This record gives sequence, structure tokens and C-alpha cells, in this order.
Amino acid sequence: VMEVVLGQVEQLPALLAVSRSALVRDWDFLTLERALEWARYFQHLYDRFRTRPQLREALGRRLRRAQPYPLLGFPTLGRCPQLLGLALLKTHALPPAACRRLLRSLLQPPGAGTGPEPRGLALLARRKAAACLLALPRCPPRRPPGQELQLQAEAQLLLNRLREERQEVGEAAGQLRWLCGVLEQLPQPRAFEVVAAALALLKQGSGAEQAGDGDGDGSSLDGYQASAAEDGCTAGLLLSWLLGNKERFSAFCLCLPSSLLAFLAGHYSQLSRSYLDLLTTWGSHLLYDPLQGRWVKSCLDKAELSWEELRERFSCLYQGSTLLKEQTQAALKLLKTQDGDFEVCGLSVWTDLLMEV
Amino acid sequence: MAQDGTVPKLKFGYWLDKAIEWGQATTLESQQDVCLHLPQLQEFLHQLYETIKDSGSAVAIQQFPLIGQLLGRLCWNPFVIGYDESQKTLMWCLCCLYSSEPRSAVELKANSWVRSLLCHLLSSSKWESNEAETSTFISALGYTSADYYCHLVKNTVFSLVTELRENQFNGLNIQGSISASRVNAVSIFCVPLITLPDLTPLLETLLLYHGGSSKEILSSEFLEAVNEAFLKKKISLPESAVFSLWLRHLPSLEKATLHLLDQLFSIQLNSLEEVACVMKDSLLPQAASHPAIFRIVNEIFKNALMETDGTSGVMTIIQVFTQLFLQVHQNENKQHKFPLKAYFPYHHQPLVRGLVRRPFEFPTTYWSQHLKHISDMLKALVEDTDFSSPTDLFEIWFLVACFGEWLDIAAEQLLKAAVEPDAVLWLLAFYYCPKNENQQRTQTVVEAQAVYSHLMMLFRCTDLSLKDLEVAVHRITGVEQCWNQCLTTHLLTNFLLFSRGGHKIAQECIYHITKTTDTSKEVYNLLIRTAYRFNHSGEENQRTVKLLNELLQKLTLKV
Repeated sequence: VMEVVLGQVEQLPALLAVSRSALVRDWDFLTLERALEWARYFQHLYDRFRTRPQLREALGRRLRRAQPYPLLGFPTLGRCPQLLGLALLKTHALPPAACRRLLRSLLQPPGAGTGPEPRGLALLARRKAAACLLALPRCPPRRPPGQELQLQAEAQLLLNRLREERQEVGEAAGQLRWLCGVLEQLPQPRAFEVVAAALALLKQGSGAEQAGDGDGDGSSLDGYQASAAEDGCTAGLLLSWLLGNKERFSAFCLCLPSSLLAFLAGHYSQLSRSYLDLLTTWGSHLLYDPLQGRWVKSCLDKAELSWEELRERFSCLYQGSTLLKEQTQAALKLLKTQDGDFEVCGLSVWTDLLMEV
Repeated sequence: MAQDGTVPKLKFGYWLDKAIEWGQATTLESQQDVCLHLPQLQEFLHQLYETIKDSGSAVAIQQFPLIGQLLGRLCWNPFVIGYDESQKTLMWCLCCLYSSEPRSAVELKANSWVRSLLCHLLSSSKWESNEAETSTFISALGYTSADYYCHLVKNTVFSLVTELRENQFNGLNIQGSISASRVNAVSIFCVPLITLPDLTPLLETLLLYHGGSSKEILSSEFLEAVNEAFLKKKISLPESAVFSLWLRHLPSLEKATLHLLDQLFSIQLNSLEEVACVMKDSLLPQAASHPAIFRIVNEIFKNALMETDGTSGVMTIIQVFTQLFLQVHQNENKQHKFPLKAYFPYHHQPLVRGLVRRPFEFPTTYWSQHLKHISDMLKALVEDTDFSSPTDLFEIWFLVACFGEWLDIAAEQLLKAAVEPDAVLWLLAFYYCPKNENQQRTQTVVEAQAVYSHLMMLFRCTDLSLKDLEVAVHRITGVEQCWNQCLTTHLLTNFLLFSRGGHKIAQECIYHITKTTDTSKEVYNLLIRTAYRFNHSGEENQRTVKLLNELLQKLTLKV
């Protein structure tokens, strides 16, 4: 019997893929019914097996095998009806007869029996309106950087999923592959912002993050409270994605504001080291132009910093924690010494930086 | 249903105009206008849905040609979508306009329009546009827009709460970075969202927010709406927030008090435990720890009593409230307690102090002494000072009546304990007949003494018949002055409960009295008050308790 169930679960990724494609143009009323029934069945499997770790694992593994990019895991089964329903809603190719049936089932008018679905969607619409209403223009926030609210929500979802994923997939390489695949779904600047927000959240911990924990209604996250050690692993994974690729890290540091980078550097030592190294590289590419009396870029490569930007970066680092400030200062001093330990400006970029920050 | 079609049709034009007006204006006034109309709009949408639900899409459009315009505009108004169940009804209406077999270009267009509106409402795109930048990311994570908005709303609420808390005026700092107008705007934008559970922390923070200005900065629509939702039990708030609401918005407090009275009048009072339960749920006794709240609630109760001509049911409710208030007040932290004078500013303080003591604070042997003390003070106040205005007399009477527990004990002590009856009788006579312009009170005292002597003579007899109590019974059945009637009923009922001879004929006697006169409510209320007292202090005599329950049962059926 278990083999049958496993075989069925394998079909989920295909089902979801089809629901987003033009293949649905051939669907009629009955096909749609069947698809919705499958979705409900998968949710039922989730409810039955979520407290039984061995079966969970088995189902999760089989699910992952069925995907080219293993993105979906066991928790996906739990929100299948919504995933399917909302995906179908957006697929234009779905013919009218099937679509009408879909609408009826999604929104279930009164008297047609109760279920978590209709409440979930009305709540969704209501919350979307609430998010719009409450997002009033505010005076310049003095809150820690990286806290733009939508970003925070995306980061929270990413973190939740990472924690669930770690439960399912033991090995780090697989997780990294998964993370790459997921982050590719975003335009690169956005991906950077999300990862930065996620790293910031991990260090702020309580408050907003706890507030963001799912409730049972329409967002049945697994109520998983992570411990500090587990958070460390999650952060490690995010950092390996960031630091693993030089171009990517460089783009990351160019893209994000210096205050945010300083904040992250203050909390993650691997990051501060790599960041300082990168700044060093950029700094060493600057040349002094005696005619203009300032440092300029040696090549007009956009992917590097100007003198002013470099100075700003270092200033922000100085405003960080004491440890970070000391670390930065030490690095600058060392570089100054290596460069000849000049005291006069215009000879070493490091001397000048030390004088100005 | 053709007839119902006329009702929404008449207002259809009205609501369409409203929807257009709201869409164009983005001022705070127009937003306040939306908030004011949300309940009626929801009702209208419901009626609209009922009208079109069974017709097809084509018929519906024929009946209401402009329905697309109306629904479309409403779908883009976040106040409407955020309110209560309006979004649900709107989406049902949209479903009705979707046809499974589109036969014309119009129907095809309607279909695609319905879908795009639903996508707007349910996908993780921004409100203003339909671009969904991050939806592939979210679905790649295996989540839906439902998860996304769950987090987003919670984050937004948390961020607002933090902002408000950081900027609380604490008496030292000058205004933080939040202006009063911003807080006011936030309160208006919250109005549709009050029953959304995610918002509770924000509601609480707003209610407790003080910006340092003496004027109220929260909008009155907000305060009213929160109060409504609280009274209908659609939301639950911490006590401090509710008290703050009532302290800053008088109409809400008045509404809450009247709502409590309504509740209590509409349920059958089977026991005072039930009444006490309902009262404690309403949070009013607890709120009354604030003297300002206590005095207003007291006024409202006073008016209710006057309007109902002093029915015993209302009086009993007031007495229970006072007891609960005292319980809360006595349990309060010594530091935060207000002095009694704050609650009863215009009264003779020694009298207040005497009345406020709960019976259980003294040994029972001391009760009659305490009653004499109260009676003497009262007598001095009432008889020696010049009471030219009936209002003053009423105020004193009302004060005493609130602490009716002592009055019940007075009547009981007269029969059970060996007391000097004069002071206690005077007290009871005052309660039942405070006025003395024509010597009514003095006369009542005399009557009371007569009844008392008669009953005391019979107290030790074990074998009594109804005829033996003729003297007392006649005073109830044959008399016009209701105050004498009430007083005698009180004494007689106590006699029946506490004397051995009385037990046997109790049922018969009560039946006779209540059959021939209008006193069943009086007797009933007296009995439930006695039962309530017994439950708290314990009555040793089991036969009395048993008799009491039997009498109550019989009367409950009749009343």
C-alpha cells in the first residue's frame, strides 16, 4: 500500500507543472474535479503523516526524486489545494467550464458545506487589503536596515522553508543546490535583498520574526521554532551561497547600501573578512590623479567603487560594533603599513582613508 | 425573486455613485466616509448576491447593466475589501458573473474580467498593479500568496506597534517622530480591519496610546467600531485596553453599560451566579475601579431604576454590581487604590465607610451592632438636616439601596438574632419608604413594629396554620400602599424561611400571597438574593436551604 501512495506522491510536481502550463486548455469539468480531488488527497496525506517522521521522510524523498530541480518537499503536500487552485486561477488557458467549477470550489458560497479553503481565501484577500491600508507613508525610519516589510515577509518565508528543508535533506550540498534554484526565481538585486534581510532577521531573532510565524489559517507552517544552533546552520548555508561565487559576492556588495552591509559584517565574521578583502581589492585599483587632486578609478568599470563610495563604506564599518570597528581599523593600518606607511596624502589610498574616516 | 430585486435596485444607483466618489477622492474625509458606510454596504452586497445568485451571468447583467462598474470599483477599494465579510460577498458576486459556456463576446469579456479581478484580489501582486514580481519565488518555496500576506500583515502590525510604543509621551520628551494627525490616520485606516485577528496588538497599542495632547487623537469612528466589536464579542482585548477605551470615549462606556442591562433583562434570572457571571464578562465591574467610570455607570443605573419605577429586578442587578465592584476594589493593589471619597464624593463618608464593609468581614454576632451603627447615622442625616430637595433624599436612599446586602441581613437578623429591633426596623422602613412629607415613613415604622411583634410571638411555635399568620398576610393582600406591602413581604418571607413553624406552611403561604397580589417578583428576587448569599457565606441550617430551593423552583415556573 505504501508503494502505491509513494507512486501517487510522485505525480504532484507534474500536476503542479501542468496546472501552470497551456496543457490545461484540454481540461474539462471532470478533469478539473479530479485534479482538485488529488489536491485534497495530498493534503489528507500530509495531515496523516506529518507526525510520523519515517513516513514523512519517505514521502519527501520520493517527491524530490520526481523533480528536475528538487524544490518541493513534504510540507508542500499540506497546502496543495491552495497551490493548485491559485495556480489554475492564473492560467489563462483554462477553459470556461472548468474555470467556473474551479471558482465555485475555491470560493464555496454559503450552504455548500464548510472547509478550510473558502475561509482561507477570504482571509487572504482581507489581509492583502490590510497590507495596503497599513502601509502608510512614514517619516524616515530609524529602524535597522533591511527591514522593508515586503522583503521581510519574503525573507521569513525563505527562512521557514530552509529550516523545513534541513529537516528533510540532510546533506549540505543538496541544500545549496536547492537554495540556488530557488533564488534564481528572483531578479538578482531582489535575491540579494532577500538574502540580506534573512541574514539580518536571523540575528534579530525575536519580535518581528516571531510575529511572522504562521497561524493555522491558510498558512500551516510547521510551527517550528529554531534553536540558535540551527539558525547558525541556516545562516551558514546562506553565507555559502553568497561567498561561494566571487562575482556574485561582488555584485552583492555593490548592490546593497553600506549601512546594511556594515550591520551584517558586524554579525557574521566570515562576511566581514570577505567584505574587507573585497574593499581592499577595490581600493587597490584606485589611482591618484594629481591634477584633480583626488583618487579615481583606474578603469571605468562599473563593477567597482569610487573613492567617495569606498570612504562611505569604511565609515559605515566604523560605526558598527566595537569589534567591527577595531577589525576595520586594524586592517586599514596594516594596509597602510604595507603600502609604505606614509603620512602625507595622495600617496597611499589607505593613508588617506584612515585620515578621513 | 422579483420583489427583492426592487430593493437593491433602488439603492444600486446610490452605491454606484458612492463607489465612484470614493475612487476619486483620496482625502481623509472621503476615507472616513467609506468607513461610516461599510456595514450598510456589506448588507447591500449580500442582498445583491441573493438576487443574482440563481440567475445566469447574462440575466444578471441585464438586470443590473452597471454591475461590472460597481463591483470593479469596489474591488479596488482596500477599505471595502478589508472589511469583515465584504470581500467574501464580492467574490461570490463575481463568480455569479462568470459563465461556463460563454456565447457572446460580452460574456467572454466578462469572464476574463472576472478572472483578472480575482487575480488582483488573491495573488501576491502589489495592490495598485497586477505585476507579481515575487510570485514565482514564493511558489518555488512551496508557499502561496496566503502565506505571504500572513507574514506581511503581521510584520506591518509589529512595525506600527513598535513605532507607537517608542513614541509614547512619557511626560518628559517632547513629541517623538509621530504626529497626532498620523496616529489619527492610522486609527481611521484600522476601522475596516478591527475584526481581523492579526490587528489585535495594534488595536491595543492605539487604545493605550497617549500623545501628550489633551484632545482625543484617535478617531471616533475607530473608538465606536472597536467598542461595537468588543460588545458583540467579535474581538477580545486585554482589560487595560478596554478600560482605556471607555475612559477616553464616553459614548462607548454608555453603550457598554446599556448593553449589559439589555443582556440582563433579556435572560431569565435563574440565579445571581449567572448574573454575576455575565457582569464579570462585560468587564464593567473591573473597569469601575476607575472612579470616573464608576460614577458614570452608577448614573446610568440610577436612571434605569427611575425609568422602571424601581422594579426589584433592576435593584437586584445594581446590588450585585456593587458587590462585584467592591470585590474588585478590595483585591486591588494598595498603591493603585483610589480612596472611597473618589467614588462617592457627595456622601457622608462615615456612612459610606459603614456600608462598604462586607458582612463576612465581621463575625455574625457583630452584625446587628453594625446595622444599628448604620441606622443611627442614616437617621441623623435624614431627620436632623433640612432635606428640602427630594433629590438629596433620593441620593442617600440610592446609596443605601446599592448596598442591599445589609438590608437583607437586617431583615434576617431581626428574626434570627436577639436584637434591639428599633434601629433595624427603622432602617428597613427607610429603605421601603424613604419619604416623610406626610409622615409616611414614620407610619411605616409603626406598621413594621406591629408586624415584627406579631411574627416574633409565633417564632417558637412549631405548629402553625395560615390563619395564625393572618395579621401579616392581611397587611400584604389587603393594603394599598406598596411600601408596607413590600416590607411585610420581606419580613414574612424571612419568617417562613427561618422559623420552624414557618417551614411547614411556607409553600402554602407564598402561593397564597403571590396569587392574590403582584408580589411574586419581589419574593422571587428576595429568594435568589438569599440563595446567592447562602452560597457565599454558607447557611448552617440544611432545612432552610432545602426549603429555599423548593420555593425558588416553584416560583421560577410561574415568573
